[in-house]
Amino acid sequence: MKAPSFAYAKPRALEEALALLSRAEAKALAGGQSLIPSLNMRLSAPELLVDITGLEALKGIRLEQDVVRIGALATHAEIERSEAVAKHVPLLAEAVQHVAHPAIRNRGTIGGSLALADPAAEYPACALALDATLVVAGTEGRRQVKATEFFKGLFETALRPGELIVAVEFPAQLKDQRTAFAELARRHGDYAIVGLAAFAANGTKRFAFFGAADRAVLARHAAQAKDLEAAKQALAKDLQPPADLYHSPATKLHLARVLLERTWNRLSTPR
Amino acid sequence: MNAPAKPREKTRFDTIGKPRRRVDGRAKAIGQTRFADDLVLPRMLHAKLLRSPHPHAIVESIDVSRAQAQRGVHLVLTGAEFPVPYGIMPVSQDEHPLARERVRYVGDPVAAVIAVDEQMATEALQLIDVKYRKLPTVASPEEGLAKPEPRIHDYGERGNIHRNQSYEFGDVEEALARSDHVFEDLFFYEGNTHLPMEQQASLASVEGDGKLLLQSSTQNPHYLHRQLARVLQVPAAHVRVIATPNGGGFGGKCDPGNHEFVVAKAALMLGRPVKICLTREEVFYQHRGRHPVLMKVRTGVSNDGRLTAMHLQTLLDGGAYGSHGPASTFYTGVLTPVTYELPRFKFEACRVFTNKPACGPKRGHGTPQPRFGQEVQLDKIAERLKLDPAEMRLRMVTQPDSLTASWLHVGSTGLAECIRKVVEMSGWKERRGKLGAGRGLGLACSTYMCGAGVSIYWNKMPHSAVQILLDRSGQVTVYCGATEIGQGSDDVLAGLVAESLGIDPGWVRCVTGDTGITPIDLGSYSSRVTIMMGNAALQAAGRLRDTLAAAAAEALDTLPDRVIFSQDRVFAAQDAGKTMSFIEAIALAEAKFGTLAAVGSYAPPKPPGRYKGAGVGPSPAYSFSACVVETEVDEHTGWVTVPKIWIAHDIGRALNPVLARGQVIGGVYMGLGEALMEEQAFRRLPPKLSSALVHRNPSMLDYKSLTSLDMPEVEVALIEYPDPNCPYGAKEVGQGPLLPVMPALANAIHDAVGVRIDEIPITPDKVLRALEKKEKGEAPRVGPESFPSVPYPAPTFVLPPWEGGDGNELKGQEGRKAA
Repeated sequence: MKAPSFAYAKPRALEEALALLSRAEAKALAGGQSLIPSLNMRLSAPELLVDITGLEALKGIRLEQDVVRIGALATHAEIERSEAVAKHVPLLAEAVQHVAHPAIRNRGTIGGSLALADPAAEYPACALALDATLVVAGTEGRRQVKATEFFKGLFETALRPGELIVAVEFPAQLKDQRTAFAELARRHGDYAIVGLAAFAANGTKRFAFFGAADRAVLARHAAQAKDLEAAKQALAKDLQPPADLYHSPATKLHLARVLLERTWNRLSTPR
Repeated sequence: MNAPAKPREKTRFDTIGKPRRRVDGRAKAIGQTRFADDLVLPRMLHAKLLRSPHPHAIVESIDVSRAQAQRGVHLVLTGAEFPVPYGIMPVSQDEHPLARERVRYVGDPVAAVIAVDEQMATEALQLIDVKYRKLPTVASPEEGLAKPEPRIHDYGERGNIHRNQSYEFGDVEEALARSDHVFEDLFFYEGNTHLPMEQQASLASVEGDGKLLLQSSTQNPHYLHRQLARVLQVPAAHVRVIATPNGGGFGGKCDPGNHEFVVAKAALMLGRPVKICLTREEVFYQHRGRHPVLMKVRTGVSNDGRLTAMHLQTLLDGGAYGSHGPASTFYTGVLTPVTYELPRFKFEACRVFTNKPACGPKRGHGTPQPRFGQEVQLDKIAERLKLDPAEMRLRMVTQPDSLTASWLHVGSTGLAECIRKVVEMSGWKERRGKLGAGRGLGLACSTYMCGAGVSIYWNKMPHSAVQILLDRSGQVTVYCGATEIGQGSDDVLAGLVAESLGIDPGWVRCVTGDTGITPIDLGSYSSRVTIMMGNAALQAAGRLRDTLAAAAAEALDTLPDRVIFSQDRVFAAQDAGKTMSFIEAIALAEAKFGTLAAVGSYAPPKPPGRYKGAGVGPSPAYSFSACVVETEVDEHTGWVTVPKIWIAHDIGRALNPVLARGQVIGGVYMGLGEALMEEQAFRRLPPKLSSALVHRNPSMLDYKSLTSLDMPEVEVALIEYPDPNCPYGAKEVGQGPLLPVMPALANAIHDAVGVRIDEIPITPDKVLRALEKKEKGEAPRVGPESFPSVPYPAPTFVLPPWEGGDGNELKGQEGRKAA
């Protein structure tokens, strides 16, 4: 099908974009990799699309002291090729390999993915595992939101109406920190059936699962378990995965445990 | 006139067997091919269909007034405009272009809007008010058997049973009773859909002479033409259908579609061109794909692994309409005895209507399901009898020029060679069972027909015809109704005519799939085009060659039957120095005989079976395939990966090996997708959302099929034993190579991890469940657990050829006892 009619604007300045986005029925268009299909399938019908791809303030990836700041408009392909990401956020570099296919990676953006908050997407889990911070802006000004406070539910975030993600800041990985990423998808490039972004440092572990709930979630009980077996058992307290079109809740929990086992050892292996 | 021209046996080919770029390759590669959706005409309008949100309901009223008054809307159509029903088969004329009093599945079209653009038409659909009265629904064949009321259709066998049949060839119970072993297995094969890249599109217009022209992505322009004339009540000679090049068909464009009648009617009413393009979601609901089939297979076997008898029962989920169902029902059994010697065979089949999109023909039409069951069961038999599955099969392949218990004539067969070839290529003997934990090899075989022996509507006329026109420029124009659906039929046609006339295929221009210009071809289904169109083409070309030879012989100082056509030239056989160009030969012949044209036609031979129902299954020739699949199973996740597939296909002769390999690999691709993930499955919405039966995944995002990244390496061997019934010996390749893939995968998984998945698709969920059962010491199998009580009729009893039968039914108990 074709999209319903809509108006289109391409502002050059952030302030202008935020003013446009403060209108009801306006939606931000970045890479369009989820929005355009949903328009064409008529799952959403905004009256105004605000194309933010001209906003220079939202672009670029750079190391700033102890964080890697990734502009909201950074595409998956740019993240994949970024030396800063490879060196300082290796978890993200690993995760981006699982994001869709090259054609989609060339256009899709990290800001778009985080703002959409698909429960089976890779970035929200990475942001949780690495305790990232999102920089968001609205007509009222800028604010910072911790990833742990950002994902509220199925396609639901802490973004207020009219707010845009400007950038996301990942702490640069320290020498004694370890990360691991694992994902199960039925086909290359599919959304995950279940996936895991894991982090460990100084006895602290964070396991961020995706595709296992209505949003990316931290498995807090598993993270506190003494050993792998205990962690696998504890996972039942952390996750009650909903069935998808192809997998039962029990299968998904089982697969989550398999991923936990696969990443567990990598977290204790020296780099 | 009708005496077939004798083709002089060629011993050396110029074109045939040489890898060539297909004749339509350039246009397709550079985007020049015009598919139906590429067509644009001045003053063209656009149509959209309003579809039922209910799986079963009475249409109490439709108010179109608001839609009609909408700006940009030219016409709103409802079922009232379409009193005449249609259906691809004469015995199931059960559809209306727009529902009249009843809708039978979510997606059943009830009204159409024709407007200046798609957007306006789409928006006007929302202004149509339809009042429905909901009816109880049938979600599965089991439910349909249990609930005869309300009937989805007021015809059929009884209740919601559409077709119900039984055939027995020799006393099967008697043979099973004296068999050393009897194996009984249940299998289930989930439905799946064709997933062509091109969604259906049609453009109807009224030509200058006032006649209807429909350009449409159809596989069967001839049948569509007949149905258009019937439904629209216009003389057939006032209708012209052009089958545009299809972006894949796979059976999904065989049935005439609601949308085709709607745009045709609208164009006639408005006098303006009207176009429609189905959305991907609509294509999922239009469907006509693989039937879900539950199977029960009881097979008798001797200690040395030979089959004694088989009793096959099938239960088909037909969906809401007849479609090709009567044929599909037969095909869930009739080709079963073609691969291996089977002394006695009983086959019972039942197709039940359900409130879901109609099932119909998909690549392999009805046969992949029982082939899966049979080939997996053979693997179990070999395991129990401690026989090598390949050796066991090799010892019982059907013989050339033999009859099956059901009176099908098997002509040429290369099945044994196919098995030997895949065994050799895959290292079967050295590697099977020795690949280590989680890795395995599985083998399976199959057969397919090269065209159905009888037409969809009964007649004694040819199934395919070709007309060739020679121009003095040297251009050879070939006309045939055959339809290019991506399979390469134009290339086959050009290649055969070029070979016969001894010219380069580049001289040949194909005009195909246009019922206003081209002579009959029944359509691109049933793997019939190469053999039927091909034989007609060779007959026509042979006649032209005779004419050219008669004219050239004198100048070459030889006799007409000593004239040779090769390399764009004409030679005297005894002296290659006596020669002229093809164009010179045309000039001589045209001067002597006038304009040069010839026709050829083909009808399949009469099949040997004479019982009622013997018309389904016979074919002029059968292709055979054998396949080995290698698999790796992750015991922790149930993930099945396939690193490599070896397949050997008995093609008779590969006319263009590039094209033939492409078809083999394409078939393997489609088969592997079905085996691993494809599911046309439905779910019930919760009661507050109407409890409707809706498609679970009507988009290419959610309906999983393999992508190029998921495709393993495929090693193809083409086995060539030319078949005398086929053009230069060439058999089919479009459907057969799909068929052995699913069972070969299931058998490989058993070799890898020792579990049986008796159900398609083989998803990680099922593998995990089976592994869990294995760990608990239960039977390591996942598959159907029971087969419902189906009221199959008393069988049509026929004695097999070797028990003294004559191919007729033995009527009554006496006949049977005498046997």
